[in-house]
Amino acid sequence: MAYILNQLINGICQGSIYALMAIGYSVIVGVVGMVTFTYGEIMMIGAFSSYYIFTGLSNNLPLAILGAFAGSFIIGSIVYKLCYERFFNAPRHISLLCTIGISMLIKNLAQIVFGPDTKPVLNIIDNKTFTLNLFGANLNIRLLQIVVIVLVIVFAVALTLFFNKTKWGVMLRAVSQNKDASYLMGINVKRTALLGNCIGCGFGGIAGILLALYYGSVSATMGASYSTKAFAASVLGGLVDIRFSALGGLCIGIIENMGIIITSATFRDVFAFAFLILILIIRPQGFVSKKGARV
Amino acid sequence: MKKRVLALTLAFTLAASALAGCGGDKKEETKAPETKAAGEETKAPAGDDEKEETKAPAGGDEKEETKAPADGDEKEETKAPVASGESKGVIKLGGVAPMTGQYAEYGKGFDIGFSKAIDEINAAGGVNGYTFEISIEDTQSDPVNSSTMATKFAEDEEVMAILGDFSSGACKANAEICDRYGIVQLSPTASASDYASMSKYCFGIMGRQDVEAPFLAKYVLKEYLKAQKIAVIRVDSDWGKSCYDNFIAQAEKEGLEVTVETYATGEKDFSSLITKMQAENPDVLVVMDQGDPVADIFNQADAAGWEIQHVALGPGTSEQVAGRLGDKDNLIVTSPFFFDPEDAELAAWAEWFSSEAGFAPTIHPACAYDCIYLIAEAVKNIDGEVTRDALQEALANLPEYTGVTGAIKFEADGDIKRNYLICGIEGGEWKVLEGFEYGAAGF
Repeated sequence: MAYILNQLINGICQGSIYALMAIGYSVIVGVVGMVTFTYGEIMMIGAFSSYYIFTGLSNNLPLAILGAFAGSFIIGSIVYKLCYERFFNAPRHISLLCTIGISMLIKNLAQIVFGPDTKPVLNIIDNKTFTLNLFGANLNIRLLQIVVIVLVIVFAVALTLFFNKTKWGVMLRAVSQNKDASYLMGINVKRTALLGNCIGCGFGGIAGILLALYYGSVSATMGASYSTKAFAASVLGGLVDIRFSALGGLCIGIIENMGIIITSATFRDVFAFAFLILILIIRPQGFVSKKGARV
Repeated sequence: MKKRVLALTLAFTLAASALAGCGGDKKEETKAPETKAAGEETKAPAGDDEKEETKAPAGGDEKEETKAPADGDEKEETKAPVASGESKGVIKLGGVAPMTGQYAEYGKGFDIGFSKAIDEINAAGGVNGYTFEISIEDTQSDPVNSSTMATKFAEDEEVMAILGDFSSGACKANAEICDRYGIVQLSPTASASDYASMSKYCFGIMGRQDVEAPFLAKYVLKEYLKAQKIAVIRVDSDWGKSCYDNFIAQAEKEGLEVTVETYATGEKDFSSLITKMQAENPDVLVVMDQGDPVADIFNQADAAGWEIQHVALGPGTSEQVAGRLGDKDNLIVTSPFFFDPEDAELAAWAEWFSSEAGFAPTIHPACAYDCIYLIAEAVKNIDGEVTRDALQEALANLPEYTGVTGAIKFEADGDIKRNYLICGIEGGEWKVLEGFEYGAAGF
């Protein structure tokens, strides 16, 4: 029992990071209207930004989060300029190919600039473990896991408030729902899409720092597998709905970790993607309740 | 306009990818005399007819190799095989290594090790009138990439041997290609016990897992740590399977209780595996992998508040692994080799490598360095024309050679058996906890 609950905690923590990744991904897809393949590298940039703040300045977590957000935000604006801005009216595969190329470029440049070796991100948060007695079972939860889960909740709520309570948020939602109508209403669509892309990338950067903290390391090649997970979680949530994408991420994290109870970690991706396929067979629109609901 | 931007973007991407990735075609600056290499005349031998020859009849003949006396700076010249006066040309070698990807640091080590040895040999005038040149291609140690690059080298009749790859899986993927084209593949690091036996053209000098893994079970876990319940977390790869199969066979003989979990290559999250293993309450946590995952697993175990002895099979006395550990003084490893700071020659080699690479060496680049000298020794022993088959025969029959990593004498299969040390970190530095004599009684 204790073992299953501890695996559930692991799953919730990992799922929370996936959720944040998926939120950022959904914002990008929703606002820009195109799928991106650079997201893994955006997360990597965020992770490295925080790494250099930790090593160069101090173990200041808020500053590192800000750095990760800023680093990914800036790279996001470059990606937007190169891959999307000029191709809004072009066939979609052009910007898709561009994002694949830019993804390779960022990854390889990162290997040159940051080096090919994996860098440690240790002891930023104390290795404290709290033991709770739940129904007679000892549940171990780490301080790091609490920090990760709390941060994900805080940023998800902050983004929701931003979208619902600010003028920029309303503009982003409008662009996400209908670019032409937004344009006719006087919204600068390109600038708004740029902001949406950069905010999505910034959230990817924050997910990057959480990955770095949780796994204790950063490397130039870390992005690839996570971008697939972000995409899968986002698809589960209907691709453009941030609440359901977050739910998708959480589900994937929990399913992966619970799957390990009955088999080995070699098959964790099998569980994640089997779950994705199963949901898509039953509900092709994903978790999202209303077809076409966006950001 | 859009097309132009797209074309420009993609072209820039490709250029940067080539810069970062391929790292290849890095011709070492041998600049040997312009005469043609012997290989150019020797129409790539198909070699079907002689396949059944045994690999190493050897029987160490009269050519003893003397290790360079350890006196300071003259080492390099004394170590390089003696050149003959007449210049015959350049022997081209093909390097396959993970210059990018998760094993990139090993690829960089290969590159530096190969280059240093070639520079030394060429600076000393080459071997039998030949100088050497190597061109390295990036494979990420992926079997598919590796076999593509191995084929490329095999089809180039000027290339006399392939050096690499890093992983056993990639080397095994290349074995059939090497056999078909009749070209030697000498791997500095492949240690799967079934690799070298795949072809008479396959050689490896890392040692074999059918010695190291049983050594871990018997001497490290049973005798040194006196452990009974063992938790093993291993990478799910050719190498990892070979390690575990050899380990478990000996562990059963020793009466150890073993629980094992596997993970896919590239995995980063080990928290669920650690939770699973923690529930078994073992005495020792053993990780079978190389490089980053070793440090990741132990760090994540520490972060989970799990106090347990850490043991690793695979990374050797890696400074990178040690550097990334949160709790350094809790790791014990097996290693066939140790950069002893008391040994002036080895210390100088390690210092030189660190200055070149920016990180301390493990056995891997040292093996790469030794591989070039083994090729040079083989060339030295060839009477007449240097061909691919002549090189294979010369390597198989090479008398014991003492390189930076110790004595090397190929077994009949084409790999070598090494003896192992028990090493650990004390006060942040690697130390030999038990010397080669500890496992001398064998199994």
